[in-house]
Amino acid sequence: MEILNSKSKKTLLDPRTKLLLLVFVSVFVLGNAGGNAAAEFRVALNYLPLLLLLASGKWKPVLFSVIFYSLAYAFSTMLMPHCKGLLNFLILAMCGIVLRFMPGIMTGMYVVSTTTVSEFIAAMERMHVSQKITIPLAVMFRFFPTVVEEAGSINKAMAMRDIKFGGKKALQMIEYRLIPMMTCSVKIGQELSAASLTRGLGGPGKRTNICRLGFGWCDYLTFTSLACGLLFVILQACKVI
Amino acid sequence: MIELKNVTFEYGSAEGAAGGIGETVSNGSLKNINLKINEGEFVLLTGGSGCGKTTILRLINGLIPNFFEGKLEGSVTVDGFDVSHAELYDTAKSVSTVFQNPRSQFFNVDTTSELAFACENQGMAESEILQRIDKTVSELHLEPLMNRSLFDLSGGQKQKIACASVAVTGNKIILLDEPSANLDLKTIDELASLLKKWKAEGKTIIVAEHRISYLWDLADRTVVLKDGQIVRELSREQMDKISEEELHALGLRSARHPELVSGSHSQEMLKQVQHDSGDTTCFLTLQNFRYKYRNGYLALNIPQMQIPVGKITAITGNNGDGKTTLLNCLCGLGRRSKGTLLYQGKTYNRRGRQKLIFLVMQDVNHQLFTESVLDEVLISQSDANEDEARRILATLDLEAFADRHPQSLSGGQKQRVAVASAIASGRDIMLFDEPTSGLDYTHMLQIGEILRSLKDQGKTGIVVTHDRELIKECCDCEICLHDFNQINPAEGGKDA
Repeated sequence: MEILNSKSKKTLLDPRTKLLLLVFVSVFVLGNAGGNAAAEFRVALNYLPLLLLLASGKWKPVLFSVIFYSLAYAFSTMLMPHCKGLLNFLILAMCGIVLRFMPGIMTGMYVVSTTTVSEFIAAMERMHVSQKITIPLAVMFRFFPTVVEEAGSINKAMAMRDIKFGGKKALQMIEYRLIPMMTCSVKIGQELSAASLTRGLGGPGKRTNICRLGFGWCDYLTFTSLACGLLFVILQACKVI
Repeated sequence: MIELKNVTFEYGSAEGAAGGIGETVSNGSLKNINLKINEGEFVLLTGGSGCGKTTILRLINGLIPNFFEGKLEGSVTVDGFDVSHAELYDTAKSVSTVFQNPRSQFFNVDTTSELAFACENQGMAESEILQRIDKTVSELHLEPLMNRSLFDLSGGQKQKIACASVAVTGNKIILLDEPSANLDLKTIDELASLLKKWKAEGKTIIVAEHRISYLWDLADRTVVLKDGQIVRELSREQMDKISEEELHALGLRSARHPELVSGSHSQEMLKQVQHDSGDTTCFLTLQNFRYKYRNGYLALNIPQMQIPVGKITAITGNNGDGKTTLLNCLCGLGRRSKGTLLYQGKTYNRRGRQKLIFLVMQDVNHQLFTESVLDEVLISQSDANEDEARRILATLDLEAFADRHPQSLSGGQKQRVAVASAIASGRDIMLFDEPTSGLDYTHMLQIGEILRSLKDQGKTGIVVTHDRELIKECCDCEICLHDFNQINPAEGGKDA
């Protein structure tokens, strides 16, 4: 039966592990915590989400990021020492953006694309997070793809009316795009909430959940490696001090 | 038993109301409604746009006054339980609703969790939920739709999931708000048989709907609303006797399935036209139209097709036959559209077609960008000319709204604004994607009139529609896309 298949088809990591990973990537890569002491750990964190994305069968973004990372590393180590002034600054800025932001985006992509809404809600409930926080976040999972769909239709309408970059009225393009976007988003948001309320969302009783959650060996492996990384950073920082 | 006693309701703000500013129809408010619906009864609520059908459903499921605010008098009870003052999550345990728009009634992203959602909210045991899902899936034959992303499903498939999620809850009272608005004839038949099954199970069913033909033999009673009041109640016997003329006089659509313009007939007509003229200039000739999805699925493959110029042609077919894809291809939207179009001796490629053809989209909200109706027409003209723009608006009864924001108008008015900008763009070929989905009889006739007037102006109209009444009203010939679209039958089984 299909349903039975769905029970066995569990993603590699538990949603809670994914959130922890997201926190680590944000703090160490985006937030640059630990400074030089965490340099090696940071490189590892850059590649960890890529491994996970690869494991869930999404090789296109992985290939894309590997190329970008390599270019950024190559530029910052080989080219930058030989440049001065504005050029140096430009390379620094570009490499910084790639190496700081992309790992976060990739991790986010992994989390959103492999977690279903009900898995997410279940995980948040296990962590005793209030429904007041969980429900708006869960709605976002659903809302963004819907808005992207709408944006696609609006793009088509723009192309047909000959409003595009290079076409006439290119300047008003942003305004023209935002108006239908906003009306559609408000309408969809309202309909989505009305529909979920009539199905009993937000009741005081305890929700149940049909998806299976639980830590597997992959989760423990991730925990262990993150803990080791953290320990390594602390030790290095102490030695430096 | 559901009982509405002396109910009067007025929406507090414009957001929930049905009609637009300046529309003569009422905005969905109700005046002194008394309605009793017994257990196991199947009631059809019908009437023109903004007559208050949806408002009655919202009163029964408690969305009014708990979500849509306004001034409410009188009482609404479901099995003696006052739903207006109850919490929505309590009402949800006995009343389920299927909404009109399949794009925005799901909370989850995958189908299986969507089916479980309402039961999970009630805190039902996991094993119980899984058992119920299994039962519903096998009863409604949904196996191929399980564990899929809702974003990959067609409108008809989404509506099936919506109905299934209602079935999983096992609720005794089921409300449906224009469930057929986005469905093709085949899917509507499936919906009708599901409703029949529910009726046999003794569920109380209330459907608010314009297209009444598929419900006419099922309903126990029909309630006709106008301007927020019940103007007529038809019992089963009266429903059997009533004539089409009487229904149209009440502003209702046909209760019987309009006879099909048979495919072969229209094909012969096409050939006749071609034979009479003897040349090909009076045709739009589509050559090698192909469209492949990113995942390699071929949705459209038309080696050759001809559409008469200066006529209104209906394109029909079931969901997944590639109608919308054909429209996108015709307009040259999307890089994966392939094919050439021969028109008046000239060949148009994809980019050329973008400037030749105007598409009035199904959701017109997507194509109204500006701050006023007049601006909307002006930006479509190649050289802005205000007098000309006002003249175009006058021909479509829109001159009074020239300075209004397009998004503040009603659905029908928005559609006319889109038509106005199509005329202003000076393009000869106009496509309409489901222009009458969710429209009542009067507005359907209005669209028919607009189409005919476009034809009189020498334009070519191509209408993709499921609406037999519209085809009967204004279309000169009909093309069944299935006869032309040569997608590999092995792949064709998959719904696009």
